[in-house]
Amino acid sequence: MNNIWLLTKIMLKNAGPLWKSKKGSGWKSILLLVAILVGMMPMVISGAWFLSGLYDGLAMIGQESALLGLGLALVSFTIFVLGIVYVLTVFYYSQDVEHFLPLPLAPREILGAKFLVALIYEYLTELILLGPLLIVFGIKSGAGLVFYLYSILLFLVVPIVPLVLASLLVMLFMRYTNIGKKKDRFRLIGGIIGLGAALGFQFFVQRQRGSMEDVEKLQQQILSGDNVLLNLATQLFPTSKLAVFALVNSGYLAGLGYLLAFILTTGAAVLLFLFAGDRLYFAGVMGVSESASKRKKVGGQDFAKLAKVRSPWWSYALKEWRMLWRTPAYMLNCLLPSLIMPVFVLIPLFGIQERGELITALSGWIEGMGGLSLAIFFAGSLFIAGMNSASATAITRDGQGFFLNKTFPISFIQLLMGKLLPGVMMSFISILFLLVAAAWFLNISPIFLLICLLVALPGVVLINVLGILIDIHMPKLAWTSEQEAVKQNLNPLFAILVALLTAGITVVLVFLTQSQGSLLSVAVMLFIVFSGLDFLLYRVLVKKGPGWIEKIEN
Amino acid sequence: MIELNGVSKSYNGTYKAVDHLDLTVPKGEIFGFLGPNGAGKTTTIKMITGIIKPDAGQIRINGKEIGVDTIEAKKQFGYVPDSPDLFLRLKGLEYVSFMADIYGVEQEVRNSRIHSLAKRFDMLDALGDTIQSYSHGMRQKIVIMGVLVHHPEVWILDEPLTGLDPKSSYTLKEMMREHADSGRSVFFSTHVLEVAEKLCDRVAIINKGKILFCGTFPQMQEHFQSHESLESLFLELTKHE
Repeated sequence: MNNIWLLTKIMLKNAGPLWKSKKGSGWKSILLLVAILVGMMPMVISGAWFLSGLYDGLAMIGQESALLGLGLALVSFTIFVLGIVYVLTVFYYSQDVEHFLPLPLAPREILGAKFLVALIYEYLTELILLGPLLIVFGIKSGAGLVFYLYSILLFLVVPIVPLVLASLLVMLFMRYTNIGKKKDRFRLIGGIIGLGAALGFQFFVQRQRGSMEDVEKLQQQILSGDNVLLNLATQLFPTSKLAVFALVNSGYLAGLGYLLAFILTTGAAVLLFLFAGDRLYFAGVMGVSESASKRKKVGGQDFAKLAKVRSPWWSYALKEWRMLWRTPAYMLNCLLPSLIMPVFVLIPLFGIQERGELITALSGWIEGMGGLSLAIFFAGSLFIAGMNSASATAITRDGQGFFLNKTFPISFIQLLMGKLLPGVMMSFISILFLLVAAAWFLNISPIFLLICLLVALPGVVLINVLGILIDIHMPKLAWTSEQEAVKQNLNPLFAILVALLTAGITVVLVFLTQSQGSLLSVAVMLFIVFSGLDFLLYRVLVKKGPGWIEKIEN
Repeated sequence: MIELNGVSKSYNGTYKAVDHLDLTVPKGEIFGFLGPNGAGKTTTIKMITGIIKPDAGQIRINGKEIGVDTIEAKKQFGYVPDSPDLFLRLKGLEYVSFMADIYGVEQEVRNSRIHSLAKRFDMLDALGDTIQSYSHGMRQKIVIMGVLVHHPEVWILDEPLTGLDPKSSYTLKEMMREHADSGRSVFFSTHVLEVAEKLCDRVAIINKGKILFCGTFPQMQEHFQSHESLESLFLELTKHE
């Protein structure tokens, strides 16, 4: 047990804080964090409002505890899905594993520590998902102190069982498919399957959505056991029922009984995990970082292609592009989300029954709105550009090797262009995807689409430059695994926030000034304003950039 | 040619990693930079290469000041860092030609240099594989190739011999000699004293950020009036303080 604590502490320290703040600029991080919280407020408030409405409805028929059941089951399910990714990266693909393997430690000790690390990440997710529900339920039911005590305890215990399940699944998979030599390919396929599952899940949720939006319908479904999603979640995690009973009966002795039963079941799950881990872990993890080689001479044509002369910034961009696509963690986290985004946006269209009507309505609306519809599309492009974290992690991804950039005889602007291009290209490809899909579904004129694309360009560039600016000021270079560089990093989140803010301001301003404006006038205005902003930012960068880069010392 | 004048660097405002360093490495010379662990070797190299900024003093490479005429100064040198674990996802050839692009090496020159370097380092069969699949020594070799492909005037190496097999180590030393003999300079840090003794025209011994001795090996023996090996002199020099 002592070793587990020791290892956990080391792993957490090694991972470092979520973002690195330079000395004396702690306030900067705090300010940004406050900005994030404020930015998320509307979401949290509307969520709480929805929950309290649901509670009122269920309370009328004395079934308010179903709400807790729904919440706990959904949280367990989400944690299970996220857990698969965490377990893969924390247990298997973090570079520290190789340092622990030669130490005289039992597999369960390394696993125990890694489990705790993954659990801590899961708590962060849980805080957002379960926190509001517990608070709303507590306030609405006028619960006593014991309810909140139980809540805190359950909050800590609930994610354990789903995480154990995810671990067992991954450990079994890794044990019997020790495909270490092709680990990158495996990661890729695994990730794509994961994303596919997420997509399927999304689709599934969307099919439920018609009813989800309608509080009354949802209540009926919860009561009649009609809700497929809920059933699935409670069947997967039957123990969550114990947790619900513990909370509902927190005023009585029975509640304590349920609580103990829940904790005991969880304890048993942990024991099972450690027992299985002792037998499965090492066999799956050993040799996982090997990589294959051909050891063959590079022939004339291939040689000519690879060794072709390119301009420095283009060569740099190509290097970034190759690294993005070849590093599974980067590809999955930086590139795919923005590619998948347009699909996510379109899925609701499939889910809605009265699709035909909606499409006609939407098409008509787009034609009728003129300038404003362009502004809304533009805002969407900004958001997609923000979703793509290639630029917001451009400095961070270099990690400890960042210093080498400083020895290159290229100007800051060349370096910036090299780092910027992949992000801009990817954003643009995503937008193109979205446009093609939109053109296919909605009957939008090609001219409108062309204008959209042209106008989006300066906006996309702006968001990507802002992303790099964020990363230049708060790079997180001390990472030990590539996953850490892009996932345990707040910069992409800041970038999304900046994109959202810019998008919001743009729409509001266009609405206020150009609500009657024609398509062309809005297009010209957006293009000029954003090109102007790009130019301004470029001037600032030329002047200040080299100094900022110089300040990064690792 | 490298010139350092009164270069200082301190961390956290108090700890002086490098303290008022003066150093000149003329053309045609292999210069060894010796010192125990944590003496300030890597900090000095990082300042010369523009990775970190000195608190005080000037650094010139072939007359170009790194803090002023930055890009021109950087064109003068090639730098081999102490850890070769960089750009692991690139193929060896992609990396070397990336470096050639950054330093603007023309096609014909680049092709022939890559071929001859790969041949000398026994890397012809490895160029098409990703650097991730290389052993430590091979990674070291590909980084060295990435530097030599642009034929720098000044060659700066941080602990270059670590991890190389005897043959590659011999080749590298041979190359350093050729480099210096063709009228250019080589500056490298090491704590392998035998290498320094045999290879270097001059050495500097640094400890706690200060240069304790700078000159040829015979000068050093003369200075201390002893005929002991470099190892004993080194130990003697760095023991006290």
